[in-house]
Amino acid sequence: MNVRLEHLGHRYGAVEALRDVTAEARAGNITAIVGPNASGKSTLIRGIIGAIRPQWGAAFIDNLPVASMSARQLARRAAYVPQRSVVAAAFTVREVVELGRYALPRDVARIEEALARLELTDLAARPYPALSVGQQQRVTMARALAQLPERGLLVLDEPTAAMDLRHAERCMKLLREIADAGGAVVVAMHDLSMAALWADEAWLLDDGRLAASGPAEEVLAPDRLEAVFGVGFERVGDSEGRFRLLASSPRA
Amino acid sequence: MRRITRKQLIGLVILAVLAAAAIITRLLIYRGSDDSLIWSWPESGIAELRRTSIAVAAIAGVSLAVSGVLLQALLRNPLASPFILGISSGAALGVMTAVYVGHLMGRSAAGGGAHPLPALAGALTALCIVYLLGQRRGWLDPLSLVLVGVVVSAICGALIMFLQHLAPHGLRSDLVTWMMGYIHPDVPAALLIATGATALLGLAAGMALGRAMDAGTLEDDEARSIGLAIGPLRLVMFLLAGVLTSAAVALAGPIGFVGLIAPHAARLLLGPRHAVLVAGAALVGVVLLVGGDATCQVINVSGGRMPVGVFTALVGGPAFIWLLRSGRGRA
Repeated sequence: MNVRLEHLGHRYGAVEALRDVTAEARAGNITAIVGPNASGKSTLIRGIIGAIRPQWGAAFIDNLPVASMSARQLARRAAYVPQRSVVAAAFTVREVVELGRYALPRDVARIEEALARLELTDLAARPYPALSVGQQQRVTMARALAQLPERGLLVLDEPTAAMDLRHAERCMKLLREIADAGGAVVVAMHDLSMAALWADEAWLLDDGRLAASGPAEEVLAPDRLEAVFGVGFERVGDSEGRFRLLASSPRA
Repeated sequence: MRRITRKQLIGLVILAVLAAAAIITRLLIYRGSDDSLIWSWPESGIAELRRTSIAVAAIAGVSLAVSGVLLQALLRNPLASPFILGISSGAALGVMTAVYVGHLMGRSAAGGGAHPLPALAGALTALCIVYLLGQRRGWLDPLSLVLVGVVVSAICGALIMFLQHLAPHGLRSDLVTWMMGYIHPDVPAALLIATGATALLGLAAGMALGRAMDAGTLEDDEARSIGLAIGPLRLVMFLLAGVLTSAAVALAGPIGFVGLIAPHAARLLLGPRHAVLVAGAALVGVVLLVGGDATCQVINVSGGRMPVGVFTALVGGPAFIWLLRSGRGRA
């Protein structure tokens, strides 16, 4: 499933959160959205999942305009993981994961598989509010997995922010598996090193504008990042051909 | 999230037994002409009045309890109650206005009885105002609803005080009696049928909305992403809760705390899933109001029986504080 953004722009009152963003995320890829705070990452994510009606331009999923889709139609194509999920009821972990099937036929096997993939089977009967924030984030991931159609679109906003290193790594491996199985993954990330390690493509946002988009290796170039973040970066390659980014002091 | 669990089934059976016990108790208990408490099967005329009392209490209990569940889900606030939207204040203003206008036109006050039509008119007017002003970007917004509800209550309260200031003393006591909430044994059959049908339809609709309300416990963006049309759901919940509350107020006056306590009591026993919760809360509503009315027959105070609204406030107030302090006031 491909995502295409055409001249997307959005304003919250007097604040212009997104300006003329045109980009494409393809099936089979992990596309990382990176940028400083308030650069428009979350607004872009909200535009893709139809949570806002952009004032300019449009978002398309498989060439269908998101704005023309009902919530149910969208739920059958894409799943969403917010930065922090708040559930206003004392549901169990399993009940929260089951919510992922709200617009879809009940599928116990999918729910159990989602719980297992996020290592939540032992916690399934625990009340969701009693979990740590990191555990809750894994439950939200499992809820999205229970919903995600085959070769569907998974949109995530900082999914690993509250996770420990092992579970963050596990989460990114899962995203890799989904992309390798033909799904499209669009993920907003603050951790540039993790983005460099896992993303195939990247969109770099700066003050609501798309500063760069394309292969992650090109977009996450130290000089480009320094221009946007105001911090120096060093690139370190590993034996598997992947690279990491290390922040250093700002260059004079 | 579709099957009813064994624990929930047992909980529902327990609540149904308690509701049946409350109904039977209310049917059997009465005070004799010498004010003594008597337990026996009533004669036919008395039985008719008592059946009406039971019906009024049950309908008001179910309506307020279901409305409470809907509003706690709609406002994402476990401490919300049916009167948070200014409906009772609107109803009270409707009654006060009718009583005062009647006085100006030379009609005598109804003597502490029910005022279904003015109450209904006032409640629905308040509901319309809250609906029109409680929207943001074209859809109902929980925070705006609460704020507008508080403002509507305050304005209605000020107008009630103004009318009370203008009215002679006898008229004030009529309104005060109505404001206490009372289970009347002589309600017109048409009103009973209309409000009974509203309560049953509201109960069925509330149960049918259960899965959607479960999904609505997620934040708006996330709820939409799993396929929930959150705007239309909020509108349906608001209208349903408003009509149920208006019906209960028109029937028995503004009886407090039932809509707050019944959902929590049911939640403790049945868990948070809304379809089961709506059914359980309705049964708790019957237990509270029919049982409360029976208890009020036992508590003999000078000048007559204790109004059931006073009883529910005396029981509900401490229960509310316990919920807050024990941390059980969570959804």
